[in-house]
Amino acid sequence: MATVALKGLTKKFAEAAAVNDLNLEIGDGEFVSLLGPSGCGKTTTLRLIAGFLQPEEGEIQVNQQVVSSPWLLVPPERRNMSMIFQSYAVWPHMTVFQNVAYGLKFKKLSSDEIEKKVERLLRLVHLEALKGRYPAELSGGQQQRVALARALVVEPQILLLDEPLSNLDANLREEMRFEIRRLHEEFRITTIYVTHDQAEAMVTSDRIAVMHLGKVIQVGTPQEIFERPRTNFVAEFIGKTNILRGKWQEDGRVALGEDMLVQVTVRERYKQGGAVSLCLRPHNVCLVGSAEEAEQWRQEGYNLFSGIIQRRIYFGDAFDYMVELPIHHLTLRVVAPPSQRYELGEKIFALAHPNHCVIVGEG
Amino acid sequence: MEAVGRLRVGSRRGSRTWDRTLPVWIGASLFLVFLMLLPLGWIFVTSLRGEEGWGISGYVQVFTQQAFLRAIWNTLIISFWVGVIAVVIGSLLAWLVTRTDLPLKQTIRALVMASFVTPPFLGAFAWTLLAGPNAGLLNKIYRSLTGSEEALFNIFSMGGLIFVMALYSFPYVFSMIANVCELISSDLEDAANILGANKLRVALTVTLPLTAPALLGGFILAFLHSLSLFGAPAILGLPASLHTITTQIWALFQYPPRLDLAAAFSVPLLLATMLLIALQKKILGRRGYSTVGGKGGERRLLHLEIFRIPTFVLVLAILSLSVFLPYWILLKAALAKAWAQPLTWDNFTLENFKFAFFQYGDTQNAILNTFKLGVLTATVGTIIAALIAYITNRQLLWGARYLTFFALAPLVVPGIVLAVGLFIAYTRPPLVLYGTIWIMFVAYLTKEMPIGFSQAETTFKSIHPELEDASRILGANRLGALKDVTAPLARAGLIATWCFIFIGVIRELSASILLFTPKSKVVSVVIFDLKEEGQIGVIAVLGILLLLVSFLVILAVQWVARREILATRE
Repeated sequence: MATVALKGLTKKFAEAAAVNDLNLEIGDGEFVSLLGPSGCGKTTTLRLIAGFLQPEEGEIQVNQQVVSSPWLLVPPERRNMSMIFQSYAVWPHMTVFQNVAYGLKFKKLSSDEIEKKVERLLRLVHLEALKGRYPAELSGGQQQRVALARALVVEPQILLLDEPLSNLDANLREEMRFEIRRLHEEFRITTIYVTHDQAEAMVTSDRIAVMHLGKVIQVGTPQEIFERPRTNFVAEFIGKTNILRGKWQEDGRVALGEDMLVQVTVRERYKQGGAVSLCLRPHNVCLVGSAEEAEQWRQEGYNLFSGIIQRRIYFGDAFDYMVELPIHHLTLRVVAPPSQRYELGEKIFALAHPNHCVIVGEG
Repeated sequence: MEAVGRLRVGSRRGSRTWDRTLPVWIGASLFLVFLMLLPLGWIFVTSLRGEEGWGISGYVQVFTQQAFLRAIWNTLIISFWVGVIAVVIGSLLAWLVTRTDLPLKQTIRALVMASFVTPPFLGAFAWTLLAGPNAGLLNKIYRSLTGSEEALFNIFSMGGLIFVMALYSFPYVFSMIANVCELISSDLEDAANILGANKLRVALTVTLPLTAPALLGGFILAFLHSLSLFGAPAILGLPASLHTITTQIWALFQYPPRLDLAAAFSVPLLLATMLLIALQKKILGRRGYSTVGGKGGERRLLHLEIFRIPTFVLVLAILSLSVFLPYWILLKAALAKAWAQPLTWDNFTLENFKFAFFQYGDTQNAILNTFKLGVLTATVGTIIAALIAYITNRQLLWGARYLTFFALAPLVVPGIVLAVGLFIAYTRPPLVLYGTIWIMFVAYLTKEMPIGFSQAETTFKSIHPELEDASRILGANRLGALKDVTAPLARAGLIATWCFIFIGVIRELSASILLFTPKSKVVSVVIFDLKEEGQIGVIAVLGILLLLVSFLVILAVQWVARREILATRE
């Protein structure tokens, strides 16, 4: 069982910092995702943890022991970790069985024990029938399972996954997300999972660390990250969102334009009249057609916007509306259930609870 | 702050875990740099150190004497025409093989490969038997048919030289154009068709422009190839007092040797090849861009219809000039008592084989030397090429990408120029190798490094680095990962590398001709020598031996490659 701590980690490639003063703590048995767009340094971070790269600054501790620093690098083979690679890296010249058994030959085990362990893992990932096959004879999903079994059979203290699902087709990807989470609940291995897919991170992780430009900008449970994004970037990267820019007022409201005030949940104080950005998720907005009903809601504390339906897209399980607000050039995206049908050009009222209006930073 | 920074650097060196494979990488890199820099450095130094001390007198002499200028001019004319003819033949065959329904395409490819494998000096020799002005077989047939006194074709002429060199340069163009033709999908042509262009217009406006960079690149390649050839011009040009740059350099090495002039004369050749390679790179760089659009879609074959058989006959006629006729005359010369007479039972003999293999000490020794050098160079060359390719591919050392430059540098060095440099470098301390087969070994190792390196690099490129990483993280150290993962996956590619180097070595003449001594003769040199003595039967035997071994090695490569594919079942 293991904890991991990344402290002030920096790694440069040709003078450009891929990872820049990164800090993150991962608890024992925890599943943490590094989530971010491509080029944000998440794979570099993972390879630093694995020991394939040495940091220029900062250090990595496993169970409070330093394993990587500018002065010290414990080689990958002595870290007791496993890794699943983006390319699967299943060896084409070995059978499924040989692939999975490979890591065990470095431990002092009898061939009987090796066979037993491999068989058990192959059963777990539903590959027992294919153990004599070569990887070229397997589908992408099966190769993925071989990689999974190979990584788990050695009972690592830390499991690293580098975009393991990005080469699978959509259906399989969804299935494998749950599979990975299921295996985590079974083994409880400390896991670090790199992905650029927010849905993947949400399904699998205990906590998500959102990365941008080589830094971790927010860490939290999937719910925290989604509902309380701390910056513009996090809000827009995780799910669809409306970002509204306005000016902070002392009374906990934000002014959008001349006379449009939005009540928000206050967490910290901002400068009076200072520019702030507001995050409002499309599915947290409710549309009503009648002015009386809208007024009722407003009195219960909801923020009220009036506007005109500008665009409508039918998704089967929902309507995706674009509502034009009277404040110039401001539009609001709204996702509504299919029962709420409004026509293009129709005047409607949009309602949003202050709890859902989250300030995501200044400017 | 400053002090802390320095302290860090110091202690970083001290306690960083040491990678035990590091000396291997560094050693291989230094060896390569040394191998390449030494001969070239000596050429420049010697070219500037004439008999009267330092200066450019060597260059002045080279560029003012009529004979030298004549040789340069001849070389340019010959190479230009070789380039043109090679492009015409090579692209025609490539197009026919890739884009039409010509019959027996695999056979034609194999015959082009045979032309490629045939050493040009051997082809040139065979053509002296076929089209020598007096005894040449084709001329004799012509005379008996027409009753004329004249020869139809005199191979000992500039025309003859161009003709033979083109025959053995066109395969380079062929492989280049064939690659491009395979990339252009019919979609691109259909797109033009649907817009209203007819077949001719499509060919002129789409197909030709798409292949144009490759055609130009192929021309340069053929030009370069003929620029650096020594054997063919020596065999066909010297009897007609026709010197090229390479034969002129060789002549400067005959008694009394003028190393300074040879070196000074090598430098322009070196610069010319550098320039052409740079130009070719630039042109081919654009080729990649121009075929991006061809998504490797379906290719339809053009139906030649009534021209199918006549075209096939034409193709066979071309290939008979480079393969059938020369091979037939060599076989005949090897098996006949009198090579010019018809091969009947009375004229049949195995004397030549007996003589070459069992009686004549020179040939026995040369065969032994050739295969010793072949095996040695191929083995050491493969190891070094593999190490360097691995370093550059995995970026194991700082500045690894500059190693690519060193490994490919011999591409721009014609064999005879390399030999000039090696001769100067290794006839003096600290390493006196001249007079042993080791100087040949160094020459071959240098000369074959580009092909070995490119082969090995392709091999490692196809092995994803994560395959090794996966083995490391599961508990293998760097050596273990190499042993368990990289080595088995690279095996087929490295065997092919070995074979390519081996074939290159056993046919090498242009560097050997300056570096051999009586004890260290190789087969190609003996062939060249025996020509002076008129030992035609023995030459033919040796030529057939070289060809046979080359073909066997190629077959072996193909067999290994196919078996490897079966083993991993890809």
